Order: sequence, then C-alpha cells, then structure tokens
Amino acid sequence: MSADKKMSRRDLLKLAGAGSAGLVMSGLPVKVIAQDMVTIKVQTAGLGDNSLQPVADIQMARNPNVNVEWVVLTGIDHEEVAAKILALVAAGESIDVGYAATEACQLFAGQGLAAPLDDRITGDADQDFWTDFFSDVHPSLVEAMMYEGSLYEPPRDFNAANMYFNTNVLAENGFDVPGPDWTKDDFVEIARGTTKKDDAGNTEVFGYGWTNRLWGSWMPWIFVAGGNLYTEERAPGGEWIWDGYYEGDAAADGRGGGLRWQTPIANSPEVVEALQLVVDLWKEGVTPDIGMGTGQTLTGFYATGKLTMTPAGGFWAGRLANEGMEKGDFDVQLWPAWRNQKHQFGTGGHWLSNTSNAPDEAWDFMKIEVSHEGFQSSIFFNPVIITTPARRSYSQKDAYETTGPANSDVFYDTLDEHPSTAPIPAPPWSNPMTTIFTTYTGFATSGEMEPQQALDEMQAELESLTNREGRKYYQE
Amino acid sequence: MTARKTTAETSGGPWHWLMQDTMDGLRRRRALLGYLFLLPTLLGIFVFTAGPVFVSFGLSLFQWNIFKPPDFVGLENFERLLEDRRVIIGLINTLKFTILAVTSQVTIGLILALAVHRINRIWLRYYFRTAFFLPLLMSGASVAVFMGYIFHKEFGPLNYYLTLLGIPQIPWLTSSDLVMISIAIISAWRNMGFTFLIFLGGLSNLSQEVLDAADVDGAQGLRRLWSVTIPLLSPQILFATVTGVIGALQVFDEPYIMTRGGPGNASRTLVMVMYEHAFKHIEFGYGSAIAIVVFLMILVMAIAQMWLWRNRVFYQ
Amino acid sequence: MSTNVTRMPGDVSAAEHRKQVISHQLGRWIPLMILAIMSGVVLAPIMWTISTSLRTGVDSFTIPPKWLPTDFAWENYAKVFETVPFARQILNSTIITWGTVLGQLITAALAGYAFARLEFKGRDLLFWVVLATMMIPIQATVIPVFILVRSLGLFDTVWSLILPATPTAFGAFLLRQYYLTIPIELEESALIDGANQLQLFYRVYLPLVKPGLAVLAILSFNFHWNEFFRPLIFLQHENYPITIGIFQLQGYMMTGSISVVLAGVVVSLIPVIIIFLFGQRYLIEGIMRGAIKG
Repeated sequence: MSADKKMSRRDLLKLAGAGSAGLVMSGLPVKVIAQDMVTIKVQTAGLGDNSLQPVADIQMARNPNVNVEWVVLTGIDHEEVAAKILALVAAGESIDVGYAATEACQLFAGQGLAAPLDDRITGDADQDFWTDFFSDVHPSLVEAMMYEGSLYEPPRDFNAANMYFNTNVLAENGFDVPGPDWTKDDFVEIARGTTKKDDAGNTEVFGYGWTNRLWGSWMPWIFVAGGNLYTEERAPGGEWIWDGYYEGDAAADGRGGGLRWQTPIANSPEVVEALQLVVDLWKEGVTPDIGMGTGQTLTGFYATGKLTMTPAGGFWAGRLANEGMEKGDFDVQLWPAWRNQKHQFGTGGHWLSNTSNAPDEAWDFMKIEVSHEGFQSSIFFNPVIITTPARRSYSQKDAYETTGPANSDVFYDTLDEHPSTAPIPAPPWSNPMTTIFTTYTGFATSGEMEPQQALDEMQAELESLTNREGRKYYQE
Repeated sequence: MTARKTTAETSGGPWHWLMQDTMDGLRRRRALLGYLFLLPTLLGIFVFTAGPVFVSFGLSLFQWNIFKPPDFVGLENFERLLEDRRVIIGLINTLKFTILAVTSQVTIGLILALAVHRINRIWLRYYFRTAFFLPLLMSGASVAVFMGYIFHKEFGPLNYYLTLLGIPQIPWLTSSDLVMISIAIISAWRNMGFTFLIFLGGLSNLSQEVLDAADVDGAQGLRRLWSVTIPLLSPQILFATVTGVIGALQVFDEPYIMTRGGPGNASRTLVMVMYEHAFKHIEFGYGSAIAIVVFLMILVMAIAQMWLWRNRVFYQ
Repeated sequence: MSTNVTRMPGDVSAAEHRKQVISHQLGRWIPLMILAIMSGVVLAPIMWTISTSLRTGVDSFTIPPKWLPTDFAWENYAKVFETVPFARQILNSTIITWGTVLGQLITAALAGYAFARLEFKGRDLLFWVVLATMMIPIQATVIPVFILVRSLGLFDTVWSLILPATPTAFGAFLLRQYYLTIPIELEESALIDGANQLQLFYRVYLPLVKPGLAVLAILSFNFHWNEFFRPLIFLQHENYPITIGIFQLQGYMMTGSISVVLAGVVVSLIPVIIIFLFGQRYLIEGIMRGAIKG
C-alpha cells in the first residue's frame, strides 16, 4: 500500500457533496409559535407520528392557543415502550401526557411520574361527561387503571385474550367454531385434530400458536386453571368512583382502589398445570417453537393457513384485514373454560405528567381523547378496529362490519358477561417482572427445564424482586 | 494573537521567549503546538472516556434510579451481582459466543484469503473480494433482522433446504443449546470479510524471498502453509483475534434483535443484562457495576492475549 | 489493490514450475471450489432478502423459497417510508455519521501529527495513555455519558452521538503511523523556504497524509453508519438512525410485514454501497493496513 493512493479532489468533492446535502436538508420546517401559545407534548406509541392528530385537531379548533407536539416512542411490546418513556424522563425531557397500557400504569404511578386524576374528575363542572363515560366503560377496565386508591388513566382501549380461529382450516378438518361454553378438552381436540405433519414428521399446519410475552402468551391458561403470578389483592379506596359513578352497577361490587400484586404464587399447582399443557402441545408439534415478541410470524402463519388457533384480542380484526384476510376467513371465541372461565385483559390510555407545565391543557387533551368525538375520529377505531375500544358503544357489531370477525360480540362480552375477568398482573415493578416471566417461560418451552423447575425458579426470582421493590410501592 | 503587542514590548516577555529565533525558541514553539494539537483529543477522551470510567466505578456504589436521590450502598451491588444468575449466565454466554465467533471468523477468513491469494484472474479476485466484503457493509442490526427470518425454524429458507437433504428442522434460534452457536455463525458470516481482508493484506506483503527460500528447503503444500506462511502471518492473526475478541465481548445487536436473550437466558449476553438494568429498569448503580465487569473482562482478555502471543508473533 | 498485484506462487522459473504441476492443478481447483461455495453462502441470503422485499406479505412465507422476485410489489418500499419516518432517519444517519467522521478527521489529524512529529514533555506517556483508552468499551462509559448528555441538554439530539465519538484514539494512532512514513527531509526543505510551524503542518504534512485521512474517514463511516447500541440509548423515534429504523419496521407489537422490513434493509444498504463504490480502495487498504502496522 503506497502513498500514490492519494484521495483525488473529485473524491473529496463527492464526499463533501453527500455531507452538505444532508446538512442543507436538515433545515427542517420549524413551527413558529406565538408567545401566548401553550404547547403540550403528548407521547404516543406506534402507528406513526400523527395517530392522535384527530384528537389534537378537535382541541386546537376549540382552543386556538393550544399547540400539540408528538413524542413518538415505539417498542416491540408494552414494557419496552414503558422503558423508553422512563429513559426519556430520566434524560430530563418532559412530556405532558404519556401513554401506558396496564403493563406500565402502576409503574408510572409508583414512580410518581403520573398524577392522580381523582380531583380533576370529581371537580369537573361537566359531570354529565363523566357519568356518560363511566356508564359506557366496564368497571374492571377502570379499576385496572388505579393505584393505591387513585385513578391514573381513563381507559381508551383494551384487549382481552380471546381465541382466534382460521375458519378455513377448521372446516377442512370438519370442525366448527366452538360455542362460548367450550372447554380446555374441546380446545385440545381441535388443536390436535387440525395439526398436519409431513412424512418426515415436520408440522405443516399447527393447531395452536402463541408468543412469549406477558399479555396473551400462556397467561390465559394460568387464569382458567385458577392461578396467577401474584395473589390479587385490592388496595382500599376508590369509593368516589364506585359510589359516585357506578352506583347500582353489580359489576362494580367489591372493587377497591386498584389491585395490589405483592405475593408471588407462580409455582402453585394450577400455574404448573397450565404451563405443562402448553409445553406438552409444543412437544407434540401442535405448537410451533415459541419465539419472543408479539407475533409477527404468527400473523403470517395464520394468514397463510398454517395455524388454526392463537390468542389475540380485538386488535387482530384490523390487523388480519390489513394482511389481506377476508371477512369470514377467521373468527373469534371466548377463552375455553377449565376450572373456571376467568379471562384476562390489558387496557391502555394516557396519563397526566406530574411535572406538566400546562396540566389543564394536557387534561383537556385526555378528556377529548376519551369523549365521543375522540372515539368517532380516532384512527385506532376508524376505518377498522385496530385495538378494542374501551367504550362499549364503539365495540358493537357494526364496528367490525367490514373486517369481521362474525363473533365480534365476544370482545365486550368478555367483560360484561364474565365479572371475574381481571387484568394481567402488572405491579409497579412490572418491567423486571416481565423479564423474569418471559425468561422462565423460555426455559420451559425450549425444553431446558421441566415446568415445575422453571416455575420454582421463577417464583424464587419473583420473591427476591418483590422483596427488593415491593415495600417501596404498596403501603402496609 | 492580540497578546503580541503587549508582550513584545518587553524583550523578556513570554511571547519573545516563545518566538525567539533560536533552536530553543523553535523547540518551545513545537512543544506548544504539540500540546495545542493534542488538546481536543485529550480533553475529549478525558470527558467522554477516561473520566466516565471513574464515574462508573463511583456509581456502582450507589442505588439510583434518577427519579429519586441516590442511596450509598457500598459494595451491595457487587454482592447482588455475584448471586445474579442472569449476570453469570450472561458472562458464560458472552465467552461462548466470543470463542465460537472469533475462531470461526479467523479460520474462515484465513482459508478464504489463502484461496483468493492463489487466484490469478483479476476479475475473479475482484468478484470474490467484493462478495466476501459485502456483508461487512451491512449493520449488525440489518443482518440480524433478515437472518432471523432465514434461520426461522418452520418457514426459514435454510431449514427448507436442509429438510430436502433429509435433515429434520433445526431450531436454530429457539433451542437453548443452539442459539448461541447460530448467533455466532451469523456474526461470523458478517465479520469474516474483515479478517479475510486483513489476511489478504498480510499475504500480499509477505516477502516472496522468504517463501521462495522455503520452497528450496522443500517445504511444500500444507507443510509450507503450517510452518512458513502461518507464522509469517502471525501479526495479522494476532490483530484479527484481538480486535475480534474485543468486539465479540461487547455483542449486543444480534441477540437483542433476534432472540431478546431467549429462549430462557440462553442468548442473554452480559452487555444485554447491563442494558436491561441500566436503561430498561433505570438502575444506574447496578448497571454501572455490570459495566465494570464488562470493562474488566475486556481488559483481562486483551492483556492475556498479548501475553500469550508475546513470543510467538513473528515480525518480519 | 488491483494496481498492486502480488506475485503468484507460480511466478518462478520454468523448471520448478514443471515440478509443481500436479500439486498446482490440485491447488488451483480446491481453492476455487471453496471460494465458489463460500461466495454462494455469502450472497444467497442477500439475494433472498432482495427478492422477498418485492413480494406481497402473504407470499413472503412461501415454501419452497423463491429466489427471483416474481410479483415486484414495489409498494413495500413505499410502506417503509409510511411506517416509520425512514427518510428522516436516513437524514439522521447521514448527519450523525458525517458529523462524527469530520470531527474525528480534525482531532486525529492534529493529534497524530503531535504524536509523530512534535517533541514535548510527556509525549510518549500521553501516547500510551491515549492508546490504552482504546481498550475501554462503550458500556463502561455509557451511563456517565448519559448523565452528562442529560445535564448538557443534548439528549435526543445528534450531538449526543457526535460529540462523545469525536475524540478517537484509534484515529490518532492510525494517522501517527502515516505521518511517520513521511521523510523528514521534506520538513527541512520547507523550513529553509521560510515556512513556520503551522504552515509546515497544513502545507507539507497534511496533503501527504490524505490517504490516511481517507482510510480513517471510510472506516469511521462504516462503523458509525452501522451503530445500534448508542442510538438506542441516546435517541428517540424521530432522531433514530436507520439501523434502529429497520428494527422499528418490525413494528409496534411486531405488526410489520416481513416484506416491508426487508425492503427497509435493502434501502438502508444503498448509501453504504454508494460510499463503498467511491471509497472501497481506502476501506480495504485501511483494514489491511491496520493489521500490518499494528
């Protein structure tokens, strides 16, 4: 290699050209904001920068002095989005309104980042708004957004774990979509009966598939087997909601100030049995290898007729339609009964930052989002449903008219018809808890550990995590 | 330079002292220039590299989630670390990956370089060189993304061709025994272009006289390769191994994207554990303690390699 | 490289050549076969990626895999830009990478010169200190740098990546080696012509180490264009570079179509390939040289 390899002037110009083109383009448009304008920063997850633009438009039309900026944070799953928000706040950035699913609601509340909304709701001059809102939203969704007696988010959407069917695969094998009272044994029969293997023993069509995460995953089996990761206790408080807005609603009976998950029971016999069920199906080749994440490949499997059943919620209706599945190619049913038929869900919404400089405007935004106008214009619910609306009146049959599934009533019935339906466990330390849960799930579903051993070790780690973190967040 | 007027008035001033038209003055000017030229690098390294290492040591003695004031906990983080299964497995996985990835990328790179070195046709050489080099242009992230599909157990093209050969579907990324091997293969696929070029460079610079002398001595074929060519390439082998090991010990992108550390903890690397604690759980103290382990591990490995090779490297 | 063809083993006297004919034939075909197979191993996944990026979502799972694009679903490429702010992210990558490269060229050109050609107290000690910092992995500094970036208000700006990467021990070391190859006589004659110390640097030395600067620029470009770990920590969504853009394409809740993700991979490759076409000899030389001088 010699010195004759000088960089020619032309080469340098080329490099410089590429660089300066970049610098010129970086002069991106900057909004000029008048001095009396109030800017609120709203964090959204997924679906691009302006998924909430319709809400902002309504607010800005009503109050021209408000300017809404978006802070878009995405991740593969809810706990990752939550981690991004934490890192953002840790880096000294401020947001006025943040998004959190059940997974992170108590996390932000427990860290003191989210503000309780109790006084804002009870003190609101427009009480008709809240009476109407709460009458349209199932109390279990509301309770899932509470922490130590206070409400932190009005629910916008939710997804209960229901069972999706590829109806073509069912029909080919002589099965019908089961009724709502089907059982675990019916499920196993369909799963085995629709699995097809080639001569070499490789599975061509899988009866059942799922991915390793907190929501969905094998968690629904834990619930119907009669178990949970933590005991479900209730914090005191919350009478202001239950007596004030849900008076006379039987579904609100016995609710409190939010759930407390503080005693791990991950290796109870019910949980072991649930894990054994899904591990056995995997060993039989009924279930494909269980990957991490939220099921990109499962959607593909499903859309191409390689999968009969998988856990999903209302969010799959629009997603499958976008993947090119026709109405009628798929349907949905409640999770099958085992010892009971207790279903699980996760809900999502926005929280108000404790450090907001414009909390009133931020609160206005949150209110508009869950109002009728907000739901009617939201791209999450229009033109197709890509996540189940938390307001009952927007999750009726006509909302699924173009996409299916035929049994769309199942989505809200999971709440209305089954009072025992509960949120996935998500204490303030849900991020490390989720890591532990998916890790030991992986140990069992890769054959490295027997279900009992995996859950014993999961239990031990949950105990030491809860001992380290728990005392900081739940009062005695 | 505004200092010139005021200081030049007195012949003994610093400006005069500096600008003196003597060898001493010249030496002083050159020394000053040296310090000035080094300033940006030294300052930058102090602020962004050397300083932060010491801060990391300090932080590792605290429990701190940034939202609440830090608590001094002494060596508690290190005690927790010794019992933290994820840290220990992360360390083992990292070492496993390093050994697999570095040996394969060095061996394959060497074989490819020796083979290309024997090709006479310019266009063929050019073709092979470009082909082997191409993956290095891609980010580890994009390689991980598409290799994740190619290595997929049920519908990946790789397993499809293997089943044609009668081999059952291999759970490349979903078996705890295989996952680290698969990630090492994928990483070596990308990095062998680098080692290949290093060895090709080394080969083109080997003195032909030495090789000819070996011929006269009767060293032929594999024996010549083993006893002459490879020892002559030892500086390149050392370089490729040391840089490969330092890079491999920091492995993060590929397992993070393809498997998230799973199944179980089977592909969780030490850096991933550190990232999870520091930036997912915002535990800056404990994260720093793990970071220090990463740092010491790299330091020890690098020094050990230098020491092991100290007498073996044959410099021409 | 092509101008610097090395002597082949066959480039010897005719008598010896005959002796080697048999082993030579064998020695010609075996390497060629290895190379043919290995280049297939390297190129096949890239081919699959390109052709699958042009398929519709449902077809991307086709078994047996198809190697040539059949439906040319160019809309996948449009979707890349709709799903994530990919154009903006390409711009971010460009700014971050060139900003870093420029910063490294300046600091390394100065520091390398000081280490190679200037004499001052503590020079060798400082050289070893700088060299030793090459051993410090990014993970050992990232938390304090995060706190520093936070207090400087640089979080989620391109500066959070450019500034910490600007001082480069490797670059200073590499350029020092280039400066050392320049004959000292050049310096003497320039001094006789009345050049001062600064002129000596930028009129005499700097033009002569241009190949070294090019090597550093290309190596640094390739490294920082492909960075993943730091941007994941210091940047968010809009300011992400495309390495993370691709990762994001897998989608919030992994909703992305595989074809669209792969289209993103292909798009992200284009700038690097262009740079490679212009600068490949520097890149290749840089890598080879790094080893020889090391």
